Amino acid sequence: MEALKLEQVVKQYGEKTAVNGINLKVEQGEIYGLLGANGAGKTTTMRMVLGLIYPDEGKILYNGKPFSNELQHLMGYLPEERGLYPKVKVSDQIIYLARLRGMAAGDAEKSLRYWLDRFEVPEYYNKKIEELSKGNQQKMGFIAAVVHKPQILVLDEAFSGLDPVNVELLKDTVKELRDQGTSILFSTHRMEHVEELCRHITILDRSNTVVQGEIREIKKSYPREEVILRTAGEVPGLEGIAGVTAVQRQERGYVLSISEIGAAQQILQHAIVAGEVEHFEIKEPTLNQIFIRAVGESNE
Amino acid sequence: MNKMGTIIGFTFKNKVKTKAFLITTLIMVILLSIGMNIPYFIKVFKGEDKADGGNRSQIAVIAEPGNPAAELLLSSAAPAAPADQEEDTFAVTFASYPSADDAALKEGMDKGDIEGYLTFGEASGEGLPPVTYHSEDGELDGELQTYLQSALQAVNTQLIVGDKLTDSQVAAMYAPVTIATQELSAGGTQGGEEAEQTAATINYVVVYVLLILFFMSIMMTGNMISAEVTSEKSSRIMEILITSASPLTQMFGKVIGIFLVGLMQIAIIALSVTANLMLPHNSGILADFELDLSQLSIGLLVYGLILYILGYFLYALIYAAVGSIVSRTEDLGQAVMPIMMIGFVNFYVPLFSIWSPDTTLIKVASFIPFTSPLSMLLRIGVGQVAFWEIAVSLVILLVTTFVFGWLAAKIYRTGVLMYGKRPSIKEIRKAMKAYKI
Repeated sequence: MEALKLEQVVKQYGEKTAVNGINLKVEQGEIYGLLGANGAGKTTTMRMVLGLIYPDEGKILYNGKPFSNELQHLMGYLPEERGLYPKVKVSDQIIYLARLRGMAAGDAEKSLRYWLDRFEVPEYYNKKIEELSKGNQQKMGFIAAVVHKPQILVLDEAFSGLDPVNVELLKDTVKELRDQGTSILFSTHRMEHVEELCRHITILDRSNTVVQGEIREIKKSYPREEVILRTAGEVPGLEGIAGVTAVQRQERGYVLSISEIGAAQQILQHAIVAGEVEHFEIKEPTLNQIFIRAVGESNE
Repeated sequence: MNKMGTIIGFTFKNKVKTKAFLITTLIMVILLSIGMNIPYFIKVFKGEDKADGGNRSQIAVIAEPGNPAAELLLSSAAPAAPADQEEDTFAVTFASYPSADDAALKEGMDKGDIEGYLTFGEASGEGLPPVTYHSEDGELDGELQTYLQSALQAVNTQLIVGDKLTDSQVAAMYAPVTIATQELSAGGTQGGEEAEQTAATINYVVVYVLLILFFMSIMMTGNMISAEVTSEKSSRIMEILITSASPLTQMFGKVIGIFLVGLMQIAIIALSVTANLMLPHNSGILADFELDLSQLSIGLLVYGLILYILGYFLYALIYAAVGSIVSRTEDLGQAVMPIMMIGFVNFYVPLFSIWSPDTTLIKVASFIPFTSPLSMLLRIGVGQVAFWEIAVSLVILLVTTFVFGWLAAKIYRTGVLMYGKRPSIKEIRKAMKAYKI
C-alpha cells in the first residue's frame, strides 16, 4: 500500500490550470522528488497533498484512505517560504505547533530537545527566532516540521539558502527519517540532491507532467551524448569523426558531444591510434541535462 | 476543542507578554490613578495656600466714622461661612482705617496682610456712593470681585430699604427662585417614567466610562487581531498553522484568546479604579461629586457586559477577516479603515448624545447591529428603554454576529492562503465558493 497516492489530480485557479492531471505514488520510506521550474505547480501539488486546498478533480489517498482532518497529525510540512513567529521563543512555538498536531506537551518538549541536540544547538531552546541567523531559522523550521514524528513529510526546497555543512547535516537527517519509514515528498531545484536522495521523480512543466519514473530508468531512456576523453598527448582530427557534434578542449583532455552512440567507439579507436589513453567514459546524462531538455523541449 | 484551547492559551500568553500590552495597560492605570487623585492633589495644594493665609483676604475700608455705607459693610463682614466648608470658602474680612495714609494700613499692605482698600466717593442721590478699590497691582481678581459685588449690593439694598422691611423680608428677597419641572405623560405610566427621569448621576458617569472603555477595548483588541493574522500570513507561519488546525478553529481560538486579553485589561482597569476609590483620602470623592454608588443600576452593568461581549465578537470577527485578506502589515491600516469608521460611529453617536439619550438617532442606532452595542448601552444607562427593545436589539446583534462569524470564517479560510496583492471582492467571492469552510 502506498503511503501517498495521487490519481489524475487537477487544480484550476479560474481560467488557469495550476496542476493538470498529476499521478504519483510515494512508498513508505521513500523520498519522492518533485521537480519543476518556477510556477510549474509543485507548491500547488504539495498544498493539495497537505489538504490546504482541494483538488478540482482526481483523488489523493493516504494509506489508501481519503483526506480527513485526523491526517493532519501524521503530516509534516516545511514550506518554501518558511516562517515561524519572529518574536516568540523557539521552545514556545515549536511545542505549540506540536501540540496542535496532537502531541502531548511533555512529549513535544522531549522531541524538541532531541532535535536541538541532533542539530547541536541546544542553547536555542530559549532564544527567539529573530535572534537566530537565517540558516538556523531554517533548521528551526525543519524541526517544526518533524517534531511530531510525521509519517508523511512534505519538504518544499528544504536545502535552499543553507551552507554546505548544513546541507549535509539536513540531508543526513532526511535520509535517517527515510530509513525510519517516513515517506517524504521533496521538491528542489538542485538536481544533485535529487540524484542523491530520490528513487522516483516527477518533473512538472507548466502544470503538466513531462518526465516521471525511477531515476535510473529515466537516465537509461535518454541517449548518452557525452564522451570524456583524457589522453597523454594531443588527439587531432576528432572533429572529423562522423556523429561528433562538438569538441571541447579542456586542461587534461576533451569533452565531446555525440549525436549517436556508435560515434563513441570510433572516438576511442581514433584516440588509441593517436597515443596513450588515460581515461575514456561515455557519460550518462545528468538529471540537470534531462531537466533542461524536458522542460526546454516543451517550451519550444 | 482541545486544539482551540491550545490556540487560546498560546494567543493569550503571547499577547499578555508583549511590551505593547504591558506598557499600554500600565499607562492607562497610571493616567487613571492620576486623574482620580486630582481632587485630592488640589485639596493638598489649596491647604498649603491657606497656611500662607492666601485664602483669607483682608480688605481695608477707608471712611469717615459715621459713613452709613461703610458701617453697614463692616457689620456685614464674613457672612454665612459655615465652619465645615471652610476649606473651600473664600473669606474676606473688612477692617476700618481712618485714612489711606494710616501707618498700620501701610504696614499691612507692605507685608501682604491687607490686599487693598476701598474708598467711598460722594453720595449722589439714594443708595451706595461710588466705591473704588485700591491695591498694589490695581487688579480685582474674579473671586474677590464677586464677593465685594454681592457684599456691596447687599449694602446698597439695605441703604435704600432702610428699616422699611424686616430682615426676614430682605433675606426672602435674596432667596434664589426655583423652577420645578413635571413631564406630562400621555400613557399614564407616570410612576415608571419618573424613576427613569431621575437617572442617577452615577449612571451617567458609568455610561460615560463604559463607552470609552468599551470603545477603546474593542478597537485595540480588533487591531490586535487583524495585525496578528496579517503577521502570521506575512511571516508564512500561516501555512504551517493551517496544516495543523482548521482555519475555523484558529480564527475562533485567536478571537477568544484576545477577548480574554481585553477582558483582563478591563479587569485591571476596574481594579485600579476600585483601589483608587478605596484610598482613604479619596473616600470623599464620590460624595463631593454627588455620586452615590448605591444608585448604580446593576442591570446596566449586566447588560453592559452582554453588549460588550457581543459587540466585541462582531467587530473582532470582522477584523480577523480583514486581517486574513491582507498579506503585508503595511497594507493593513488601509484595509481596516472602513471598519474603524463604523467603530467611530458606534462610539461618537452615543457619546455626543449622552445628555439626550432619547433622540430618534439613538433609537435607530440602538437597533443597527454595528452601532447597537454602545447606543443601547446609553439608552439602558440613562435613557428610556422598554425591555422588548433591549431584547430585540440583542437578538439582532446576536444573529448578525453569527452571520458575520460564518462569513468571516469563509473569508478567513480563503484569505489566509491568498498572497500577493490585496484581492478584490470579486476574487474573494469566487475563491470562497471553493471551500466548504
